[in-house]
Amino acid sequence: MIKKFCVDQIDVYINGEKLLDHLSFSVQPGEMLGIIGPNGAGKSTLLKVILGVIKPQHGTVEITHNDRRPVIGYVPQARAIDEEMPIQTWDFISLGLPHRLRPWLTKRDRAVIKETMELTDTSHLAKQPIGKLSGGEKQRVFLAQALVRNPDVLLLDESTANLDPKAQEEMASLVHELCVQQNISTLFISHDIHLVSKYSHRVLYLTRGHYTVGSAEEIIDNANLDVLYQLQHVNGMAQTAVETMRYGG
Amino acid sequence: MFHYDFMQHAFIAGTIVAIMCGAIGVFVMARGLSFITHSFSHIGFSGASFAIYVGWDPLEGLLLFTTVGALSIGRMGVKFFRREASISVMLSVFLGLGILFLALTPQSGSFTSTILFGSVVGISLKDVWVIVILTAALLCLLTLGYKMLKFDSFDPVGAEAAGLPIRFISVAFLLLLSVGVAEAVQIVGALLVFALMTIPASTARHITQSVFMMIVVSAVLAVLGVWVGLTLSYLTSAPVSFYITAFEALCYFLALGWSALKAKYQPMKMAA
Ligand SMILES: Nc1ncnc2c1ncn2[C@@H]1O[C@H](COP(=O)(O)OP(=O)(O)OP(=O)(O)O)[C@@H](O)[C@H]1O
Ligand SMILES: [Mg+2]
Repeated sequence: MIKKFCVDQIDVYINGEKLLDHLSFSVQPGEMLGIIGPNGAGKSTLLKVILGVIKPQHGTVEITHNDRRPVIGYVPQARAIDEEMPIQTWDFISLGLPHRLRPWLTKRDRAVIKETMELTDTSHLAKQPIGKLSGGEKQRVFLAQALVRNPDVLLLDESTANLDPKAQEEMASLVHELCVQQNISTLFISHDIHLVSKYSHRVLYLTRGHYTVGSAEEIIDNANLDVLYQLQHVNGMAQTAVETMRYGG
Repeated sequence: MFHYDFMQHAFIAGTIVAIMCGAIGVFVMARGLSFITHSFSHIGFSGASFAIYVGWDPLEGLLLFTTVGALSIGRMGVKFFRREASISVMLSVFLGLGILFLALTPQSGSFTSTILFGSVVGISLKDVWVIVILTAALLCLLTLGYKMLKFDSFDPVGAEAAGLPIRFISVAFLLLLSVGVAEAVQIVGALLVFALMTIPASTARHITQSVFMMIVVSAVLAVLGVWVGLTLSYLTSAPVSFYITAFEALCYFLALGWSALKAKYQPMKMAA
């Protein structure tokens, strides 16, 4: 369980343009924080800042654990798996184990893999080649791979994209349960506002250069949401289309 | 045939090199490095010719050229070298250099065929020892780095997400590969290192779906190929590398046929 997970006054510029502007929030142990916002808002970028892959120009991310280095499990947004990939699902999940120099799997390792596969409902896929799984099955396998390292913090970047409504619900409720039962602090990015509001404890609503954090009701009630997320976006596109026509693109 | 020292040496060295090639090959295929392996063997060829020209041991020239090659490819990034143009330019330049060094060296005839096509007769006891030690070191490193290398080779995005030092892994693997190629060139020749490093591993992919078993199957097939090659070559005096490639290719097509049959048979079983 983490002691502290705090994002403090983060500024990130990409190509000279400010993407994240003095972004601050903190996440409690066992809390699921949903993140919504339009394409290009900087959601994925935020996760990379938390991972330490992108250095913010200003501000800090602090994640501390009571008695060890905090472990982060991360499922990135896009992961193409070659259909011919000959590796079995359980082997693929085992890749996520903390990397030691020992080349073989211990009994404990196997037990952890087995338990994680039961948790993510992937046990029946164990012997299947990963490349042949369906999109939803793959997402659960990716989640399992991030979970075998027994993370304190889980960062999920659109793990419900390309899933059917039922599979989306299952995925989100699974993440919610994991969060609560194992005290994992989770950031859950999704474009489905209803899914996020149903399963997250709080929601971070992010647009280019702006953000709001609050309960799902607050965010959804927030008039800004419609204005910024949908209307402005659609208007922006319409505007561009009109200009293109006018000036002959 | 084992009463000849040279055949004993050839079997020992060939077996060890085959195990190494088979094992490394699985990662070569997973990382999409088969053509870089091919380039390494050509860089090695010019290294060996250079060594002969200046009067060194061929292995020294091989190692020097391939490791420097690995470091520079690692520096510039593997992606750059996966481009067809970069590879063909590099292949041609080093093949050309090799030919130049050979032309400058008087009496290079038998050496040329050894380094290009491999040889069973030329392996001294000292060569065997060098190969044993190099391979042992190589396999040790491969064992220690197994989990990381496996992660990065079979799921690069996941490995990066998990915070593995992917750049280091990539360069370290290229270095191991370059040493492996340098060793193998002495036995199977520059033209066919490629075959021993890629065909058994490709065959293994069709036979098993666990990475560890792929390594075992690939190594076993490579070893069998070398044994068959050495034996037939001894009996018929045709080049070893011909028999090795023929054997490995045969296994490959058998495995391909087998997996196609299996795929055809499975739906029928389900329908029944
Ligand atoms: N490595 C990079 N180089 C240049 N620009 C980048 C880079 N990474 C992200 N960007 C830019 O930063 C902006 C935010 O990208 P990001 O991936 O964080 O958006 P997002 O909120 O995750 O969007 P989506 O919902 O489409 O996934 C985009 O405009 C993108 O073009
Ligand atoms: Mg994104």
